[in-house]
Amino acid sequence: MIQQSFIKELTGIVGRDNILSSRKDLLAYSYDSTSRQEMPEVIVFPRSTAEVSGVIKAAHRDKVPVIARGAGTNLSGGTIPDRGGIILELSRMNRILDIDTANHRAVVQPGVVNLDLQNALAPFGFVFPPDPASQEMSTLGGNVGENAGGPHCLKHGVTSKYVYGMEVVLSDGEVINVGGSVEDNPGYDLRGLLIGSEGTLGIATRLTLHIIPKPETSRTLLVIFETLENASQTVSDIIGAGIIPGAMELIDKTTCWAIEQGISAGYPTDAEAVLLIELEGLQDSLDRQVRDISEICQKNKVRELRIAKTSAEQAALWQGRRGAFGAIARICPQYIVMDGTVPRNKMVPTIHRVDEIAKKYHLTIALVAHAGDGNIHPLILFDTGNPEEIVSARKAGDEICELCSSMGGTITGEHGVGLEKLHAMFTQFSSADLSAMRRVKEVFDPEGILNPGKLLPPEEDESLHETKEVAG
Amino acid sequence: MTPAFSAEQSAFSQRLTEIVGSASVSTDERVTAEHTVDGLKPFVVVFASSAEQVSQVVKAGNQFEKTIVPWGSGSRQSVGPCLARADAVISLKPMNKIIELDVGNYTVQVEAGMVNRDLHRQLAEQGLFLPFDPFCTETSTIGGELATNVSGPSRAAYGTARDIVLGITAVSPTGDIIHTGGKTMKNVAGIDLGKLLIGSQGTLGIITDTVMRIFPQAEVNRSLLLAFPDAEDAFQVVSRLLASKLTPGSVELVDRLVGHHLEPAGGPPLEENGVLLMVSISGSREDAERHQKDISTLAEENKVDSTVILDGTEVNGIENAYHQAHQSLFTSPSVVQGKASVPLSKQGEMFRAIKKTGSKYGVPVGVTVHGYNGILYTRFDASVADPSGIINDLNGTAAGLDGFFMVEAAPLQFRKNGAVLPPRSDYKLMRLLKNSLDPRNILNPGKLVGGPG
Ligand SMILES: Cc1cc2nc3c(=O)[nH]c(=O)nc-3n(C[C@H](O)[C@H](O)[C@H](O)COP(=O)(O)OP(=O)(O)OC[C@H]3O[C@@H](n4cnc5c(N)ncnc54)[C@H](O)[C@@H]3O)c2cc1C
Repeated sequence: MIQQSFIKELTGIVGRDNILSSRKDLLAYSYDSTSRQEMPEVIVFPRSTAEVSGVIKAAHRDKVPVIARGAGTNLSGGTIPDRGGIILELSRMNRILDIDTANHRAVVQPGVVNLDLQNALAPFGFVFPPDPASQEMSTLGGNVGENAGGPHCLKHGVTSKYVYGMEVVLSDGEVINVGGSVEDNPGYDLRGLLIGSEGTLGIATRLTLHIIPKPETSRTLLVIFETLENASQTVSDIIGAGIIPGAMELIDKTTCWAIEQGISAGYPTDAEAVLLIELEGLQDSLDRQVRDISEICQKNKVRELRIAKTSAEQAALWQGRRGAFGAIARICPQYIVMDGTVPRNKMVPTIHRVDEIAKKYHLTIALVAHAGDGNIHPLILFDTGNPEEIVSARKAGDEICELCSSMGGTITGEHGVGLEKLHAMFTQFSSADLSAMRRVKEVFDPEGILNPGKLLPPEEDESLHETKEVAG
Repeated sequence: MTPAFSAEQSAFSQRLTEIVGSASVSTDERVTAEHTVDGLKPFVVVFASSAEQVSQVVKAGNQFEKTIVPWGSGSRQSVGPCLARADAVISLKPMNKIIELDVGNYTVQVEAGMVNRDLHRQLAEQGLFLPFDPFCTETSTIGGELATNVSGPSRAAYGTARDIVLGITAVSPTGDIIHTGGKTMKNVAGIDLGKLLIGSQGTLGIITDTVMRIFPQAEVNRSLLLAFPDAEDAFQVVSRLLASKLTPGSVELVDRLVGHHLEPAGGPPLEENGVLLMVSISGSREDAERHQKDISTLAEENKVDSTVILDGTEVNGIENAYHQAHQSLFTSPSVVQGKASVPLSKQGEMFRAIKKTGSKYGVPVGVTVHGYNGILYTRFDASVADPSGIINDLNGTAAGLDGFFMVEAAPLQFRKNGAVLPPRSDYKLMRLLKNSLDPRNILNPGKLVGGPG
């Protein structure tokens, strides 16, 4: 339990306007984008690295948990304060410090919202390639915390490819720099280690990001199919033909319908699945890519292939895709978002099995996928008033995790482990794998104050699970 | 001749024989001498053919407190800080096979001892290509290349090993087999130990296999060779390329020292202070035409002297020549090889500063540049009067440009005496990691960790 004197000390560090501790305020930070809820003890809004360091030093001394939080849009329970403690909310460190197009570089504070950076880059004709569908809200610090992906990561790769370096506050308050403002920094890749570590190893307080020129032109295709199978086979065939579009998203009928209930984005509501494909690059080569792709679609019994004619049409389709989770939430407030990723040629059988799991538990499972990367987001819908259904939904989620592991894939491609997938970690890793990770955690955070209990499942629980057999 | 061993050494060798069989353990002078690193000759060399064997060997190292040096082909052993002790060398040479080629997923899983060139050849036969082409020897292994995080021209378009590698299996310093990542394009489960292993120079684990992304060969591969009398103009072209919508496969700049070696493969002759800009284009026909047209225009606007365009097998020819030139000029044992990394817009300035420093000390310094990454490789003969003067000057220049310079490979005395790594604020944490993961300091003690605080 945090004492009043501790809150006073924190107030001294961040100032009275940057700390909250009333019950009403604590409630507002008790959840993220999952369905769990736990109460924090205090919320602080540091505005500088020095303030972050000051807060961490106090927490380190008193062994108080510190949970870094950007916008709280993560889908894994990563910012749930299930052990109380401090929510270190970084949204007030939201300045873009430098845009340096000549060096393909931008320097930002961690609380900058992804889309705000994109908007600031647009006049220069540059982009920051990672574009999580949550980009209107999620912060770059949070993107780094989860190693976020996004539709356009198909062509360009995920967040870790676009971070040169960062300033980090360690668990004892020391400030260091990892990586750098140039490439190939000597020594271990602590930068790579920190990216995706979900706030468990250190707090990023300044990011040096790699930005690139926006592609010359892009074309958005909406491809409509009568079966999910045909749509996912098309994805495999396009990849197999060596075409790497900018993005290739799969959206099923339930989700299309939900999207169209909210806005008119242009999706059909009577087709089993659609692909939203974005081609980008030099204008010289796009016509042929469109031809090649439509041939592949024909082979897979496509119903219709539409090419967005105006940028407004293009934008509407993307707005619909980005709003997919929200749209589902309007028809069913509670659902679990899965994030398994499988080898790209295992998409068809995996989706087939997800369907069987839905039938087995009598659940509706909607589907959205960053299909080109084999990253699927089955959305398991359930009714919170129906205790049996809650149990079924959880079980179905576990089975989907196991399914993705057994297909040679992973339980999470971009959303992170957080609290939600802690136990699924045992399906993917051996106890030797996990103990190596724990050692790294202990080096960075010997007192265990940084987002404790997230990402790595407790060692004690290992005996309850069959960990993955160690291959010879 | 078999040298005399202590009882402890004999017991350790005996244990190794039990693990891999006597045919795969050698204490023969000639074999151990071939596996000398930084002047340290191991007393035993063991050849492993599976991760399980590697694991057992490392466990034995811990049990007998014998240090172990992981060995691919030995081509990059003498880089970075000096090795402190070498009891045993573990060679992964027998682990040289493709484990799985998954064309539908565009991934390949290979054993760490696989020679990169062999892998490239085998993939090419199937119309596939691996965008991982570091400046290494004909015999360099994938495992060694990952451990040293080397890279080559393709990084301009595809990134480095940290972007291409999807999964790694490794044996930890205490002998556990650990898996990280897998064969999916995206994966955020757990702490990304793979990133830590890439570039750890065998100090945190022995990589035993890896899964990497591969790609279908492009429809068209071309190489534009542009000779500029003045480096300034060549760097100007690079800046304009970087600001354009073009996406070349690689963008390399070389001075006359290297450029001269490319002439037999079709490279245009260079003037005394000339620079050769080599841009590779790979993609669809339409893409290639557009790149060729725009880049030629850019070059003409910036006083290009002569332009050569290579196609098809000629492209392989020039690429091989480039690799060989790099190899022979930069990695000979009597050369000090350094690397500068600076912001993209400062590459020209760094290039000029390197040449000027060379003149100041009366030493020709050869330079090649990854023009899309701000990386400049330098080389000069170690026999010159004052290498540390040159090194200090270049350290200062690079730091002044918001980058760094470091000595990568050099004769022993320079790596022993001089600080070969630039100062950083995260070395302490690196040392703590090493101590925690390798409590008995078994794997490559002394390497890498321990730069100036
Ligand atoms: C509608 C919707 C769509 C989404 N689409 C995508 C998508 O396409 N791709 C994708 O990858 N994700 C997606 N997400 C998930 C989520 O938006 C991402 O994980 C995002 O990166 C989280 O950012 P945030 O600012 O909300 O971080 P938070 O949720 O606040 O935090 C995420 C994690 O990062 C840590 N963290 C936050 N800031 C820092 C810091 N400065 N230093 C260290 N650790 C820190 C936190 O402790 C936590 O573990 C989506 C979510 C929603 C709600």
